[in-house]
Parts: sequence; structure tokens; C-alpha cells
Amino acid sequence: MKEYLTRFIEVGLKLGAEYIEVRAQKLFKTMLTMKDGIIEAAKEGLENGVAIRVLVNGAWGFASVGSFDNAQLIDAVEKTCKMAKAASRKVKTPVELAEIRTFEDKVVVKPRKNPAEVSLAEKIKIASSMNKTVFDYDPRVKSCTMDYLDVTGTNYFINNEGTYIEQDKLYVWSRVLTTAKEGEVYAFAREEIGSTAGFEVFETETLEVVGERIAKRAIEQLKAKTPKGGAFPVVIGPNVVGVFVHEAFGHLAEADLTLKGSVLMDKLGKKIASEVVTVYDDGTVNGAFGSFKYDDEGIPAQKTLLIKDGQVVGLMHNRETAHRFQTSPTGNVRAEDFRYEPIIRMRNTYLAPRDYSFEELLEGVKFGYYLKSFRGGQANLNGTFQVGIQEAYEIVNGEIGAPVRNASISGNTLETLRKVEAVGKDFQLWPGRCGKGQIAFVCDGGPHIRVKEVLMGGGA
Amino acid sequence: MAELRKEEMLSLCEKAVRTAERSGASEVEAYICQILRTSVGIERGQIVKTITHVDQGLGVRATYNKAIGFAYTNLLTEKTVEEAASKAFSSAKASQPDPYWRSFTTRKCFANVQKTFDKKILELSSEELVGLATRMLQTATEKDKRVFVVDGEVEASYAAKALFNSYDVSNYDKGTFISCGLAAVAREANYVTPVCFEFDAKRTLDIDPEWVGSETARLTASALKAEPIPSKTYTVVFTQLAMQLLLSYTLVNAVKADYVQREQSALKGKIGEKVASENVSIYDDGILEGGFRTWGFDDEGVDRRKTVVIEKGVLKNFLYDNYTAGKDEVESTGNAYRGGNAPYVETPSIEATNFQFTPGNKSTDELISEIDSGLIVYFLQGAHSSNPVSGEFSVVAVPSWKIEKGEIKNAVKGAMLSGTVFDVLRNVSALANNQRQVGALVAPWISVENVKVIGK
Repeated sequence: MKEYLTRFIEVGLKLGAEYIEVRAQKLFKTMLTMKDGIIEAAKEGLENGVAIRVLVNGAWGFASVGSFDNAQLIDAVEKTCKMAKAASRKVKTPVELAEIRTFEDKVVVKPRKNPAEVSLAEKIKIASSMNKTVFDYDPRVKSCTMDYLDVTGTNYFINNEGTYIEQDKLYVWSRVLTTAKEGEVYAFAREEIGSTAGFEVFETETLEVVGERIAKRAIEQLKAKTPKGGAFPVVIGPNVVGVFVHEAFGHLAEADLTLKGSVLMDKLGKKIASEVVTVYDDGTVNGAFGSFKYDDEGIPAQKTLLIKDGQVVGLMHNRETAHRFQTSPTGNVRAEDFRYEPIIRMRNTYLAPRDYSFEELLEGVKFGYYLKSFRGGQANLNGTFQVGIQEAYEIVNGEIGAPVRNASISGNTLETLRKVEAVGKDFQLWPGRCGKGQIAFVCDGGPHIRVKEVLMGGGA
Repeated sequence: MAELRKEEMLSLCEKAVRTAERSGASEVEAYICQILRTSVGIERGQIVKTITHVDQGLGVRATYNKAIGFAYTNLLTEKTVEEAASKAFSSAKASQPDPYWRSFTTRKCFANVQKTFDKKILELSSEELVGLATRMLQTATEKDKRVFVVDGEVEASYAAKALFNSYDVSNYDKGTFISCGLAAVAREANYVTPVCFEFDAKRTLDIDPEWVGSETARLTASALKAEPIPSKTYTVVFTQLAMQLLLSYTLVNAVKADYVQREQSALKGKIGEKVASENVSIYDDGILEGGFRTWGFDDEGVDRRKTVVIEKGVLKNFLYDNYTAGKDEVESTGNAYRGGNAPYVETPSIEATNFQFTPGNKSTDELISEIDSGLIVYFLQGAHSSNPVSGEFSVVAVPSWKIEKGEIKNAVKGAMLSGTVFDVLRNVSALANNQRQVGALVAPWISVENVKVIGK
């Protein structure tokens, strides 16, 4: 493979590229969708393709080709160099890349249970049992949709600087959605499972545990009340802390977005959060959904400290932004597949635990909310964030009270980070998929925390 | 790379179908598509990249004893196509029967569609695309110095699809699409606005990059000096983008037959009932002239058509694919859809095509002039976290502007909207005449009474 890909590097250099990289992938996917116990279709697919990125006179050219055909790839290199040249005539500040160490490596994954070796019949059996667990929980459960995906295969990366990496890929992912209905009240709950370790993830996240968790969540919402709108103190669980850290803060600390004017633009080195807040983005957590050895620019993944005791100390960089900030790339670059250009993505993002117990966090909240599980979140560059909550409870006089449905919280990231009063000692990471024009597998999480006040969106 | 010819595409499909049939499949369907895309990207105020994308692939569905298997390949050689066909069949054999399975479509029909292909888009040179991007960017930056363009793109694309199944249903269609868009923030003193954006998109080469540049700059600059508003109910004008976000995760799902059949829709059993204000009529028009989602046939080969969803507030029809239509013993409405960046890797599911509100006859000025105290909303943050079953939402309205005594005033800071989509539909009081397509939605500005707003 190395020899084959090298020829395209040479073509690019001849055409005047100052930098060229070629990524090839040979991936195999299995997918299942089961709706209410019926398999919609058992799916298998091959994805073979090549992505080429060149830098010509300070402008990027990117081409993706769903083929390994020599003539097509040479044509793509020529065309993308030509296009980059056309764009470069308008470039005022040419793109430059940070210097890096080069690597030659072969990364082999050795799962205990390789999903490619688990038969389709067994995967279907697992889906059926999950479906049964959910429906058996309560007759008010009305639907259960389960998606399953596994990806295995190899990615190849080569650039003109001497880096060549062959890296096995392995992902196992599943999502369960369930709905419940009683009278005119509809409830909805979802949960995801994801791992880069292997099919053995279903041994810890067992069908019984996940199935019951999601069914219970949907059923509890049926009797839940809608929240009052307004500002309230909240205790936030690891699942929601994760999405808050990811959406409200993490995206702003992706250096491409920071440069686009995120509120962190002039905050590097400054205190932006209460001093109990420490945040990492870590690509090295063993088996976690956001972990990998090398990123898609050939940089080793690492554990990156973003906020230390309330102070912003780092951002997530690719080689372009690292050059702009005169620092080193952090191994955060990924492309969903050969169809996409590599961009800065989070890996496993979390708030570091401290010393409070859950009970201590609840103590002293006269009336507030406990936000346990999220439904979705989104942030704006100016730091306005929104997180939709699928599972929440009232807190009354320091005790967990009645369930609450369809809550959402909003606010300004920096103001909210300053209002973090106390951080728990527990810790959990949750797998998820993050969209930034393309999908990346990530984890996020943290401990339970207490925030002095957040804006709660009211119910209907 | 050159476009695949109709004959090539159909013959690969037929090859796949015959291969799986020979293996013993009860029935087979093959879908092939090719996507060619070229774009010029703007980042942080300058044109900085170009992207070309060539992708094609073939997906095969095979059934065996009512169990369905699917396999795809993105390499199109005789060998890979045959392998995909065999794999689809073996997946079907390994899977379990679906008691509701009827068959692939047997309808041999094709809808005539207009203004969905323009050779000029396909022939645009990289210089011409850079030229369009330059005009858009320059207009924006020259209009207001406080405005900073963070992102932008001009993209030209071509797609062709073909489908063949065991019942000799054989369809082919091709289309083009061009779009340009900008996202910007404005800074003044210490305040940074939320990201504001605008775009123009067409199936034919008829976009206006200067308008996009100028409108993005105008919107962004007017988002400066934002103030909080008090919590209460307001009349809210949803622009097309905001309405599209609100409906995609709620109403659009509620009218899909699979959501209805699986008790995931609050509209189940409500055909013939009034579910919206009398001002509301919605059609799903798969053959809309120049519509973003207009094609001659849907992604399982059924001819596209126009379906009335809500007429004068009364729910009339749900949207069907062939499978859900079989369950209800009706005809498919031609709404089977393979989405994503590479449709051939997907099996079909139900999706709206061009989801069109019948516009009103008021100008936007007239619509605004009738509002004493309200809000105009351009984007909703967090719409995807709505409850897809009940239609309940709780979202942030950014950017949005206050309306006072019939005029749009200062921008609003951090207001949240909450309610259910069905209350929104019941409270539609007026529609303007500025119809425009955003995603699936084709609509004008829509004015809604009594929306709960949580401010400060």
C-alpha cells in the first residue's frame, strides 16, 4: 500500500504542492435496524476510498474519490492542485503548518471479541433480547427502535514529510430509542452504547441494564410534570455534565472555531470558570469511543488539558491552527471517512472529579432541579448554549422529588462555568456521536456537579 | 471524472438483481447513484480551500422468505457488484422474516419534473466558482466593517440515480444543485453577536451571491446591541429557517406513516380532524418545479407526486413508502428516501420531499406591521432536542429581534421558546407571501400567536 500511495504524493509535489497527504481506507460495516422486534434490514457494506489533501501557495485543495483506481486518483491529484491554485490567488494570509515529528507505524487492534467474527444471527439475537427487555418492562411502552453498527478495517495515511501509518479501525455502536404512551401523554427516551474495544462492550452494558434503564426513563416521564421556566439552582449528572462540557465549552476550544471568533478568542491563560473546574479532552482513554492512536494528520492522540482550576490553558489544534498559535498540534484531527476533509474534533471530553458526594451536592438546594440525562445540545460561537434534557427531577429541600419532562437549560457558557459551586467525586463517561458537518465518535462525561443557577426553559 | 451513463447505471443494477435472483432470492432491488461535487470554501474572511468529491455506489436489497438483506459497495466492478448481490441474499437468509413485508414496488411509472437539471452547473470551472465566492464575500465585507465572515461556501453538485427491481421497474434520473452561503459574527466594544447566516440555493444556475453577502452582513450587524426581554407570551414570526428547524424534528415526523403505525405520532387517528389553524395548508410536493428534493421517482422506484397533508387546518394524509403503505393497504405516496452523504449505503426510509405551506398574500412589511409586541426568529438552537413524539420543544431563539408597534427593533439576547408544535400550528395567525425553500420546507414567514417566551 505504501508504495502505491507514494506515487500520488510524487504527482502532487511535481505539480507544486508544498504539502500533500493521502488517506486511504478499506472498511467493512455491519448495520442492523430493529423496529419493535422486526429486523428492518440486515446490512453489510464495503467502503473503499481515498482522500487527498494538498496545500498549494497557502490554499487547501481536498479531493475525495470512492475508488483505488490509479488513473482516477492521478486525475484527482491534478484537479485538486489546479483548484487549490485557483483559490490561492485570493488568499491574503497563506495557510502554514506547524512542524511535527514524523512517524512510521502499524497499529493493530486486538479485541477480545471481534465484531467482524460475530455472526449476523448472534447480532440479531442480541437486538431481539434488548427489544424484549424494553417491551416487558411495562405495557405502556409502545415502541422500541434499535440501531446497531460495527466498523472494522484499516486506514492508511501517508504524507510528503515521511509519515506513514497503517491503523486498524474498530467501532461497535448501538442506540436504543423507546416511546411510551398513556392517555394523551407521550414520552421518549434514548440511550447509546459505543466502544473501540470490541464486541465485549455488551458484557458490561448488558441488555438487561440498558433495556431497563431506557424503559424506566420513558415510563417515569409519563407521570412527570413540566418544569417551571426561569433561573434555578441545579445538580447535574455526569451524562449532562458531559454534554455541557462538550457542547457549551468544548466546541469553543476547538482552535478552528476559536479563530472564527468564539468567546475564547482572547481568553487563553485567563480565568473563565470557577476554580473547581478542570476540563480535559483525552484521546488515550482505553477502549473509550473517542480514543485512537494517531489522528488523521498523523499526530499521536494525547491527553489535552483545556481548563485547569478555572483557567483556560489549552485549545485543541490541528497543524494549521497550531502554527497560527505558535504551539503544537494536539492529535484532535479526524475525518468521518474518505468523503470528508480532516478537521478538529473532540475525543473523550470530561470535567475532572473532586470531592463532593451526591448527597452533599443536593444539600442546601431549597428548590431546584436534578438534571440526569440529556436529549441533545447545541452551542453558538458567542457562548449561548442549549441542552435538552430527557430525564430530570425536582430537588426540594435537598431531596430528589418528582420527575420532570421536556426540560431544557440555556445560558452563556462563561457565566455558567463561573457559577459551578461544587464538583462531585464520582465519574462516568458516555459515548456519543458529535456532528460538525460530519460525524465523529466521542465520549463525554464527568462527575455530578452543582451550579448556582441556570435558565430552565419551561414546559408546554 | 465523467458522469456515469444511464445505460451503464441500469445495467449494473440489472446485473445485481439477476445475480441475487440466481442465488435464490425471492425478489431483488438494486439502487445506484453517483454524486459529483465541487466547492470553494471561505474561512475567517478569506477563500482558503477547494473541495472535489466523486462518489458512486450500488446498494442491493434482496428478500428471502420475507426477510430482507442489504449490501452495498462503492467500487463498481462486475465482481464487487456480484459480491454485494450475493451478500444481500446471504444477509436475508441469516435474518428473520418480516410478517408485514409485501413486495418491492411493481408500479412502472415516472413523474415528469421540471427545472431540476442544468448543464451549466456541471460545467462550472474552478475559476468561476472562486469568482462567485469572491463576489459574495466582497459584498459582505464591504457592507459593514463590524462584520466578520467566519465561514462560507459555494458548492455545485450533480447527482444521478437509477433503480431496477425484479418486477422490471426501471428508472433513471439526474439533477443538479448549486448553493452559496455565508456565516458571520459582528463585534462592537466587548459584544460578539451570535453567528448569523444566509444562503441561496437553486437546482439551476440562478443564485445571487451579492444578495447573500449583503443580507448576511445586514442581519449580523443588526444583531449587535442585543437586550434581554421579559418572560411572557408573544406573537412570534418564524422565518423559514427557524420554522424548518422546528418542524423537522416534530411535525414532519408526526406525519410519517411509520411513526403513526408505531404509536410514535400524536397525530395517529386524527385524519379528518382539525389539527391546525384554518390558515394552514401543507402539501408534500415531490414534483415541485425546481424543488430541492424533486425527482422523477423516489428512492425505491415509486413515482413522486403531490400529497395534501393538511388542508385548511384539517389533517388529510400521512406520508408513505411502499412498506408502510402495504401495512395500511394504501398506495405509497412516493416518499421513500435514502439520505446522507452517500445514499447508496442506506436502505430507504420515509422522508418529506418539498414540504410546502400555501403562502398568504401579505408582504412581509404588512405581516410585521400588524404585530404590536412580538419577536422575529431567524434560527433555533437546540431544535433537535425536541420531543419527537409529543412535539414538545424548548429551544433558544438566536438570532431573534423584537417587534414593537409594527416594526422590527433591537436584537434579543438569550430568549427561550417553549411549547408544542401542535399549539404552534393551531396559533398560526398569518402567512406572508415571501415563499422560499429551506431544506424540505417551502414556506413564507409565518406569524404565530401566544408563544411562550422565557427571557430574563
